[in-house]
Amino acid sequence: MKRPLTLAVFGAAAALLAAGCSSGGGGSSASGGTPQQGGSVTFAMPPNATPNWIFPIGTPGHLASFNGAIRQEVFLPLYAYDGYSGTVAMDEKASAAKAPVYSNGGKTVDIKLNTLTWANGQKVTSRDVEFWFNLVKANKSQWGNYSAGDIPDNVAKFETVSDTEFKLHLTKAYNPDWFTANQLTYVTPIPQSAWDVESSGGKVGDYDRTTDGAKKVFKYLTGEAGKLSEYASNPLWKVANGPFTVKEFTTTGQVTLAKNPKYTGPDTAHLDTVTFKPFTSADAELNVLRSGGVDYGYMPALATSQQKSIENLGYQVKPWNGWAVTYIPYNFNNPAMSAVFKQLYIRQAVQMSIDQTTISRVIWHNQAAPGYGPVPQTPVSKYLAPEQRTNPYPFDLNKAKALLTSHGWTIQNGVAACTQAGSGANQCGDGVKAGTQLKLTIDSQSGSTETDNMMQEVQSSLSKIGIKLSIKSEPLNSVLDHTAQCKPSQPSCSWQLSFFGTAGSWYFPAYPSGEQIFSSTGSSNLGSYVDPTADDLIKKSTSSSDPAAMQKYDAYVTKNLPVIWMPNPAYQVSAIKNNLRGVVQDPLVFMQPQRWYLAK
Amino acid sequence: MTRFLLKRIGQAVVVIFFVTVIVFLLLHSVPGGPAHGILGPKASPQAIAEFNREHGFDKSLVQQYWAYLNELFHGDLGESYTLNQSVASLIGQRIPKTLVLTGLSTLVALAVAIPLGVWQARRRKGLADYAVTTVVFVGYATPVFFLALVLVIVFTQKTQLLPPQAPQTQSIAGLFADSRALILPVLAGAIATIAAFSRYMRSAVLDNLAEDYVRTARAKGASERRVVWLHIMRNSLTPIVAMLGYYLPVLFSGALVIESVFNYPGMGLLFWNAAQTSDYPILLGAVLVIALATVIGSLLADIVQALIDPRVRGTIK
Repeated sequence: MKRPLTLAVFGAAAALLAAGCSSGGGGSSASGGTPQQGGSVTFAMPPNATPNWIFPIGTPGHLASFNGAIRQEVFLPLYAYDGYSGTVAMDEKASAAKAPVYSNGGKTVDIKLNTLTWANGQKVTSRDVEFWFNLVKANKSQWGNYSAGDIPDNVAKFETVSDTEFKLHLTKAYNPDWFTANQLTYVTPIPQSAWDVESSGGKVGDYDRTTDGAKKVFKYLTGEAGKLSEYASNPLWKVANGPFTVKEFTTTGQVTLAKNPKYTGPDTAHLDTVTFKPFTSADAELNVLRSGGVDYGYMPALATSQQKSIENLGYQVKPWNGWAVTYIPYNFNNPAMSAVFKQLYIRQAVQMSIDQTTISRVIWHNQAAPGYGPVPQTPVSKYLAPEQRTNPYPFDLNKAKALLTSHGWTIQNGVAACTQAGSGANQCGDGVKAGTQLKLTIDSQSGSTETDNMMQEVQSSLSKIGIKLSIKSEPLNSVLDHTAQCKPSQPSCSWQLSFFGTAGSWYFPAYPSGEQIFSSTGSSNLGSYVDPTADDLIKKSTSSSDPAAMQKYDAYVTKNLPVIWMPNPAYQVSAIKNNLRGVVQDPLVFMQPQRWYLAK
Repeated sequence: MTRFLLKRIGQAVVVIFFVTVIVFLLLHSVPGGPAHGILGPKASPQAIAEFNREHGFDKSLVQQYWAYLNELFHGDLGESYTLNQSVASLIGQRIPKTLVLTGLSTLVALAVAIPLGVWQARRRKGLADYAVTTVVFVGYATPVFFLALVLVIVFTQKTQLLPPQAPQTQSIAGLFADSRALILPVLAGAIATIAAFSRYMRSAVLDNLAEDYVRTARAKGASERRVVWLHIMRNSLTPIVAMLGYYLPVLFSGALVIESVFNYPGMGLLFWNAAQTSDYPILLGAVLVIALATVIGSLLADIVQALIDPRVRGTIK
């Protein structure tokens, strides 16, 4: 199976994700047994996932998922979210600060740090957080996660209250859940007492407090971060505050973390070392798994028939479900089909033709789960509206066909054609010209059996209601390139539907709001979906303090179908050795190896 | 000879220059550039703009090529977009590993194929010849990925005689220290090559067996062993040497399938992954290395052929 987060492609995705673990039970390894202190564990990384960045401020191109997972074991984020509690929630033990307190109508955030120490003996203080803010503010264009208007732009002032407490004065009121989960999770205290230097061997100062100084410090630190082969030896990166330190970081991507003897927090590691092992292909990994060479690996989807034999070798096989949704965007600006896609009844007919249950069972061997809306369907969360939970558009080809025929479409030679143009109740709808045929083209990822099979299934279903779907398979990068936001007059607007396949799931940060994908100004609203009600609900979900704002957004967008909802595949099907305990597979695709242990 | 060498080197420089121009233009004419592919659909417009600025995609094609050439003349192949390493260091790490794998496979293949080809030619149309031909054809027709998987299943899972992956060390000494782990990848690479080389050798020996000089040597009382291994062998090696020359770029470009199955990151995977992720500097660097290997290989083939075959020497001026 190709990962939903194929690294280079979806690197940015995972870096958005804050912290740690678990898919609410289903994906966890057994707990219990007598924990053995010490020991080593080998974790198999997905094919060609080579960690390549250690500095907590990632530049564009250096946000690959394992960078974040490894880095936050060494440098604790201000706030970590994970699935440890059974749903996605803040994990204070894995965070550098206590839960924030919002005041002044959501415009001021008061944060108290946990008692932590850097490996050089200095306490983790507010100054270390200010250092992060100063560096990012002065170099925001070079920060890979920067999005105009978001952090640090939305923080008007950083106020130090004491060594362990600070306040953020925001430019306007934000939804506290959104701000903590999707903005403060980017912040990582970094050791000002060791890193605030402008050149190698330079004296530590307060250079970051001027823009020029902050630029020089940032340039120096990113320069050091460019020396991959020195990650394990450079004294800079030794100044850790997390449960692990870097013991090995090879240029081919193998990383070994060793227990940090100077860690002072409450989340001490059980294991001595954890090795993240790179693989050139899923087959190579499976070969090594079969010989018992990794403690925590994965099975390619096509190898699920071998589950029993892997279990007989002493592994538990568990799907690792992601905090994600999978969908096919419509290009609402495509000159030929714009008017068609804008008709809700057509989108409803298309959605009712997607047999998600069968696709999940037959094509994904139950390693994918149907999804009906813009919030991850599992684990169940407070953001999930009843409308999405109950699926408003169940698979029903007769109803789907009736929706078309009752709106002025006549099926001729297997293809529906608009025979009653107009905007009346029984007519095709605004802008749809008489004679328009429902012939659609989809750009789809090539090279994945599951994707090919899904596309064929969708093609077959749609043909039964009079929609002729042509599938254009291309390498993933080409599909990504061709699926750009566009204006109808641009040649790049020729795409109609697009599917990134197994690499195409949208992984959310802990708060699964839709400002990036479904707001009219969203940078990843690929199909240029514009709906004032959705915009309003999205805005409320990020800026109002109404706890039900997310559910209202979810209910509306679920029914409004800005995209075709598709089954969401598991991040991976893991194989975990029976004696490796304490593993909770985090929907946010991070890990807490400090909580793993070997059972005696 | 000096004139010949200078001429060929001059030609090589021109060929390589045009290769860089063509590859550079093809890559850089892709609309939209690599930013979307590298940064993914979540990338903000600011991140894309910064990526394009940092890597010069906001400049004209001519300016970009000039900057590339300028760096190239200073021995700088650029930085990978995705791996946080320079292309030179990546190629520097991968080529020795790749050469160990492909070089050993080729040596094993030659060591088996040459005697096998001679042996078969001398038993032409005999039962043994047919039997070996059948086996060789099966080896030649079997896809490498299938062959590799069969080897893995038989030797690592059914019998557990050998490890399932190639040596995982970074040093060349480490590769040889874990030589058991090299057996399967080398074998998987050698089998198809054995088939190809042995067919060439068989056919060359057959041609030579019918030559007058062979009859003369026999008539003068030379032993069959001397006729075959001294006279025929030397003359029959010409096509093998020519093939080896053109095989040089294959040695340098790696063995994608074997690297992939045996978890052995070499040049093949570097190039393949770079193509998948639009990592242009790696693609350009790898193409440059392969182009260089191609022209050097053909030059070496000509020179060695001249050393073996006096008839060829006359044509080298």
